[in-house]
Amino acid sequence: MNKMRIAGAVLTSLIVGGLGVTASGFRTPVATQTLKIITWVNPPAVAVLKQINAEFHKKYPNVNVVFQTAADRSGPYATLESTTIRGNTVDIMGTGPIQPLPAHPTTSNMSNEQLWGTHGLYVPLNSQPWVKAFSPKINATEMYQGKLEGLVTGTYTQGVFYNKAVFAKYHLTVPRTYNAFIALCKRLKSHGVTPLFDGLQDVGPAYLGFIYEPLMQEVWRPHVLGGNLNKALSTGSARWTSPYFVKVMQREKTIMQYLEPNFQGVPWQSMPGDFASGKAAMLLDGSWDLAAVHTANPKMKVGFFPLPGSNHPAYNVPFVAGDLTWVVLHNAPNKVAAYKWLNFFSSPKIYQQYVNAVGITPSRLGGTYHSFAQSVMGPWFGKGVNAAQVFPDLPASGPYWDQSSNWPKLQLEMYQGTYTPKKVASMYQQGWPTVIK
Amino acid sequence: MAGLPTVNRGSGGIPSGPQRGRSRPMVSVGVFRGRARLPIYLLMLPGALIYLVLGIVPSVATAVISLTNYTGVPGIPANFVGIQNYVQAFSIDWPGVAGSIVDTLVFGIAVTVVQNVLALLLAEMLRRRMPGVAFFRALIFLPAVLGVTVVGLIWALIFNPSGGPAANLLHVFHATSAFFGSNTWALPLVIFVQVWSSLGFTVLVYLSGMNAIPGEMYEAAQLDGGSSWNVFRFVTFPMIAPSMTVDVLLAAVGSLNVYNLIYVLTDGLYHTNTLGMFMFNSAFQGSGDLGFGATLSMILFLITLLVALPLQKYLRKREARVL
Repeated sequence: MNKMRIAGAVLTSLIVGGLGVTASGFRTPVATQTLKIITWVNPPAVAVLKQINAEFHKKYPNVNVVFQTAADRSGPYATLESTTIRGNTVDIMGTGPIQPLPAHPTTSNMSNEQLWGTHGLYVPLNSQPWVKAFSPKINATEMYQGKLEGLVTGTYTQGVFYNKAVFAKYHLTVPRTYNAFIALCKRLKSHGVTPLFDGLQDVGPAYLGFIYEPLMQEVWRPHVLGGNLNKALSTGSARWTSPYFVKVMQREKTIMQYLEPNFQGVPWQSMPGDFASGKAAMLLDGSWDLAAVHTANPKMKVGFFPLPGSNHPAYNVPFVAGDLTWVVLHNAPNKVAAYKWLNFFSSPKIYQQYVNAVGITPSRLGGTYHSFAQSVMGPWFGKGVNAAQVFPDLPASGPYWDQSSNWPKLQLEMYQGTYTPKKVASMYQQGWPTVIK
Repeated sequence: MAGLPTVNRGSGGIPSGPQRGRSRPMVSVGVFRGRARLPIYLLMLPGALIYLVLGIVPSVATAVISLTNYTGVPGIPANFVGIQNYVQAFSIDWPGVAGSIVDTLVFGIAVTVVQNVLALLLAEMLRRRMPGVAFFRALIFLPAVLGVTVVGLIWALIFNPSGGPAANLLHVFHATSAFFGSNTWALPLVIFVQVWSSLGFTVLVYLSGMNAIPGEMYEAAQLDGGSSWNVFRFVTFPMIAPSMTVDVLLAAVGSLNVYNLIYVLTDGLYHTNTLGMFMFNSAFQGSGDLGFGATLSMILFLITLLVALPLQKYLRKREARVL
């Protein structure tokens, strides 16, 4: 009999609990919703986004956030993005800004983000309450035909992060020119210190960009009329066979000689930890990895300078680009929750939490931010030449060398001596007329 | 090799190969007439439907998609482009496609040969009754139950040039390598990992073939004074012909189509860009060009067919000859 009573009590409490009985009586059961968000792996960003999602769930208990990540934006995450865009299971997708578009956009000369953004796969967000709080200049990088396609979370900066203790030990000063930089690398090497660290394993050749991209903008871009190399290449007024491009690759090859041994096989994921453990004096990286360096070795004093590709100090400024951009997918099953999440994310306190953890330059107007990246980079934080002015953003793969799946492999082969810089330049130019026609 | 018994087709009792067909009572559909056939067809229907939907339809769809510029992205129209993707593969993209075909064949041949030779040797050792044999069998089969990503990560960590165990070992000999980032070593290492991860299953098939060989044959061979090598050569090796057919075909077809392990280890760099990898990158990872990806699939299908059909014919003939 006692067993029956206990069973009855348990059953009643389950039913009552399920219906949500309060002191004031029965309340209508609230349906739980799911909000699915995907983005690529950047450990500090993933960690802070998990916190933000937990806080969001606290505020909106009926919304469960399913948060999925995949490693590397040009690797597995690109696969996740392209399969997601074909389905209808994700609400918010992390991607990149869509501007500037090519002069004559076609399906074969736009990047994936541009293709999706210009084909109505993202929901316009102009009417969202947070829009006016964000920099109109940054918002413009995600605008197409008057429609705001996403929320650009900020700008990242690329350059050289150095171990201040090593520089002090060998009485080294921050180099302002290419020649001074090479002399510094030589000196470090003569002391048995690995000068530079850059992991290029598997999808890592894309990380050659930490050398190739600043050189493009410092060696070649200043010599193009109007200073916009992207535009000059897109209109055909600049050609890949330019002697400046050949010089870019010659210098790239020289700089690569000072990377850690067997850099082609070193995983890009371990770069911040390897640098933090003292495996090299300098790290070629983006500001997003500084938080990981700091976590790995909080005592390490880190400094920053733009990679000096040119012997004109004025040309040597950091390479900057738009960072993670949130878009609401047209096929999103839960758009309402997606709008709520974006509004929550862009609220001053939460956004500040994100920026401080990730180390990007904020795109939200006003506010005070204190990130480790900011303290390391000082006046350079967020300052520099935007990637959009350097080279065209083509689809990731295809038959042209200036495509993100192709150029790193070719540059690596150039370094290994398979092709000369001059030959590579002619390979880039071959077929280019069909891109810009 | 005088004195060793020849294999008697009728007396072995080995449940394999052509003999199996002959020893079983055959029931022909022709026995049934008219309505009596209906239950047979009805029973076949679910299986046939599943095969049609999951096997034939996607295959035909791939062939059709290879003639389009389909991206699978909603809002972007797909157009029929005829043989344009094939022209692209054999013209502007030919250096990449040709390199991939070479990588695929080298990978496929090396994996098939190394995996089968090693498996055969291991199976021969593990079929014997000796202490700890069950442990070693389990140990060899263990990688077969690990996921591809796990296998990839394990070996990527072992071969990490920046402080991995393999790098430390090489350091003792004052040598270094980029391992999976080396043009020389990436392909052999990927082949090694593929063999390591599939070896257990291959050994298992050989072992089951060996266990089906009647003990009397070994006893007779021993009585005739056959050495271990001769017993293996004239008894074991011919008698496991059906297992060899299965193992060789599975290894050949599987390795020609592999992409997932390569994706985890090298992403197709350093001469490891097999056609499967190239296809995956074209269709999913890069521009999402499903049309071109399907074209590469069709080329891969053709190569697999050209390799698998003669191989199967040869192995079946061999089975019939030796058994």
